[in-house]
Amino acid sequence: MSAKAKKRKENTSAEPKVKITVKELKRQKVLLFWSAIIVIYGFIFYYLPLGGWVMAFQNYKPAKGLLHSEFVGLDKFKRLFSDETFLRVIRNTLAMGIINLVATFVMAILFAILLNEIRQRRTKKVIQTVSYLPHFLSWIIVTGILHDVLSGTGIVNEVLMNLHLIDKSIDFFAHPSYFWPIVAFANVWKETGWNAIIYLSAITAIDPSLYEAAAIDGAGRMKKILHVTLPGIKPTIIILLLMNVGNVLNAGFEIQYLLGNGLVQSVSQTIDIYVLKWGISQGDYSIGTAAGIFKSIVSIILIVIANQIAKRNGEERLY
Amino acid sequence: MKRKALVSLLLTAAMAASCLSGCGGSSSDSDSTPSSSDNVDAEDSKSEESEGNGGGVKEFTAFFAVPGSEINDDNEIQQIIAEKTGVKVKETWLTGQTAEEAIGTIIAGGDYPDFIEGDQGTSQLYDAGALVALDDYIDKYPNIKEFFTEQEWDSLRQEDGHIYWIPQFSNIYGQERECTHNDEAFWIQTRVLKWADYPEIRTMDEYFDLLERYQEANPTMEDGTENIPYTILCDDWRYFCLENAPQFLDGYPNDGSCIVDPNELKIIDYNTTPTAVKYFQKLNEEYKKGIIDTESFTQTYDEYISKLSTGRVLGMIDQWWDFAYTAGDAIKSAKLDQQGCSYVPLPITIDKDTKNQWHNSGGVVNTGTGLAITVSCDDVEGALQFVDDLLSQEIHDLRFWGVEGTDYQVNENGEYSRTEEMRTSCADTAYKAAHLCTYSYFPQWLGTSRDGVNAMKPDGQEEEFYDSVSDDVKECFDAYGVKTYVEMLGTSEAPGAWYPMWSYSNNLTADTDGGMAWTKMGEIKHEYLPKVVMAEDFDGAWNEYMEAYEKCNPQDFLAEMQTELDRRMKEAEKYK
Repeated sequence: MSAKAKKRKENTSAEPKVKITVKELKRQKVLLFWSAIIVIYGFIFYYLPLGGWVMAFQNYKPAKGLLHSEFVGLDKFKRLFSDETFLRVIRNTLAMGIINLVATFVMAILFAILLNEIRQRRTKKVIQTVSYLPHFLSWIIVTGILHDVLSGTGIVNEVLMNLHLIDKSIDFFAHPSYFWPIVAFANVWKETGWNAIIYLSAITAIDPSLYEAAAIDGAGRMKKILHVTLPGIKPTIIILLLMNVGNVLNAGFEIQYLLGNGLVQSVSQTIDIYVLKWGISQGDYSIGTAAGIFKSIVSIILIVIANQIAKRNGEERLY
Repeated sequence: MKRKALVSLLLTAAMAASCLSGCGGSSSDSDSTPSSSDNVDAEDSKSEESEGNGGGVKEFTAFFAVPGSEINDDNEIQQIIAEKTGVKVKETWLTGQTAEEAIGTIIAGGDYPDFIEGDQGTSQLYDAGALVALDDYIDKYPNIKEFFTEQEWDSLRQEDGHIYWIPQFSNIYGQERECTHNDEAFWIQTRVLKWADYPEIRTMDEYFDLLERYQEANPTMEDGTENIPYTILCDDWRYFCLENAPQFLDGYPNDGSCIVDPNELKIIDYNTTPTAVKYFQKLNEEYKKGIIDTESFTQTYDEYISKLSTGRVLGMIDQWWDFAYTAGDAIKSAKLDQQGCSYVPLPITIDKDTKNQWHNSGGVVNTGTGLAITVSCDDVEGALQFVDDLLSQEIHDLRFWGVEGTDYQVNENGEYSRTEEMRTSCADTAYKAAHLCTYSYFPQWLGTSRDGVNAMKPDGQEEEFYDSVSDDVKECFDAYGVKTYVEMLGTSEAPGAWYPMWSYSNNLTADTDGGMAWTKMGEIKHEYLPKVVMAEDFDGAWNEYMEAYEKCNPQDFLAEMQTELDRRMKEAEKYK
């Protein structure tokens, strides 16, 4: 443990203790009132729906309801894990989640740093605005564009053909091996500008005197980026990384659902699509719920592990 | 300073959190589902509002889990029907989802429209207890009662002995009048046939041979657009255009999910027959020759329709209803029919000796689905009265023929016909939305009108039908000495009492082993059939496919179909 982290630990333990008395409660009644609203809200919208998890242990039929459906214990989970498709779906979700995480994460940081190096204010603003606009497009539009661009007569094929790099148009959506890169590319294209905003704001919070000091020490641009900018935004990076790790299993639904087809379904289907297919389409709400529970639990585990690692290395962490 | 840093860090974290949950890369399933039910909910509340002030017109809501086009709110014929019956129905249709997804979402929400057509999600609605039993009401409404025979009504009874839905289609009044082949076939553009001087095409080999020869002689259209000799629609549930041809090629009718041997009354799996191997091998050969569109397996339905609409595609397998009202009409309005881009069906089987059953006469009661009334409907009797009214001749004519004098004319013999102008406007999308209102997913008749002269629908009126088809189709009909699409194929007697088996398989759920197998088979076929067609080495790919196929336990599915077949035959015995 580094000295810095130790110091912080002492800090937290040294917080003054407030005794809970009636007087103290009265004094804070407005604060308590507002907190209560938040707690109630959270309870109703985040915890109450968890009651529906019971479904996963039942053979749930909407006609019978939660109370009268037959209990089957862990049968649904057993079926889930003996289903080859589900195992493949987990693989796809993890793979796409990790690829997306790494790609969007690295690109956003890179982009933020590059943007920060632009001296001309106006150019910088224009680029920033243009780059985060795709974020506001919905996936249905993005997939529509992708479908057109990558189709047999789309611009990508046209360009490649005119450059004589290929002599027959490539059907990008017919090859399972292209699917993950296409999804990653779409994510990067859509989210890089938006994600970079946070890093940019973190960069502007860095004390300018640090840069001056570095310059006096003879650091060039690259050295400044390496030794001032990056360490400066390190806490932000770690926090965002932690939160994103918990989101790995949310690798997406719309894009895979809209871009997928029969030929690539073995690599395109994610847990969410599986839930939709078996839970909603096939009317087996129980198996859908079971798959959903699995996803939540894995996400929680991932977040705890990542947080532990961050803690051990004395970095910023979520809790 | 330190505190400031901490605060800014917290703020960053909060901002990041809001970004991530709001948009980011995360899109949980909960984001996507409610949006679809939203429009249904919206319709619901709308209906309740307008009930009070509709000037005595009661408004019902309806959701049909099939794609359809919405009509304008101030649609003229809908208004006339509303005046006559006192009821108006706001219809909504499936958009961008499968029927099961839409129905599953509605069930999960628990808020139903008054009328519902669940399509493949019908059994889910039944399981959810969302539907009102209709059998106690039916006797009170003569037109509804007349719609089916006692036997047919009984065949609609579910496990609990009640009737929940009324199949809307393929019910023939009086004499059958059918000119359009509304079903699946190998279609081909008339220009190809004309070029080859209208040859007799009976087998798949002849069909593809003709396409190859034509393509070689005419690689482009008149304006220079490259032709696509053959495309295959493979989008989601519409992949029947690829997968179920083997049953037809062997001369069986469209049982959809299996073949029924009419003599032995045994279920046969058409996926593994020698004909299936031949069919896919042929497709594989044609793919390698470049005859089959390379985008076949990745195109969406919309892309497929716009491709057909350009007139570039020479031939394909499809159901008439799947392309005619969209691409077919587009070809017409772009005047591409003058170049011979209209489609006609061909009676194709695996060899010349097999008699084709692409077209069967006789109505088919699809017992698996129909118009149902949900538990959310607060006036079941009013709703049924409306259905009853829709089946009366006056309203039925209004629905399908339109307004006399505006949409059709009557001669001294009482025969209905349309002028060229009327025909053009009735095919026009904007006019359809503003003026015509067929209530197309409510029960309706085919065959002959109660006046004994006219057909129930314009496309059944022989004269009217022949006059209404494009010139290139007329020329083609004349060359083959036929008058209708149906005659192009020749018609077959209605199959046995079991028909059609798809009304059962469509409603299978993953609850049973058979249903589980059926879903998995679908998945495997979706993935492997395109691979088989595109494969360099057909035999290897086919064996791989068969291996994966066997793993789905198709025998479970077939056994369940056999049980249903036996049940249907036993049921039919009772009425002999």
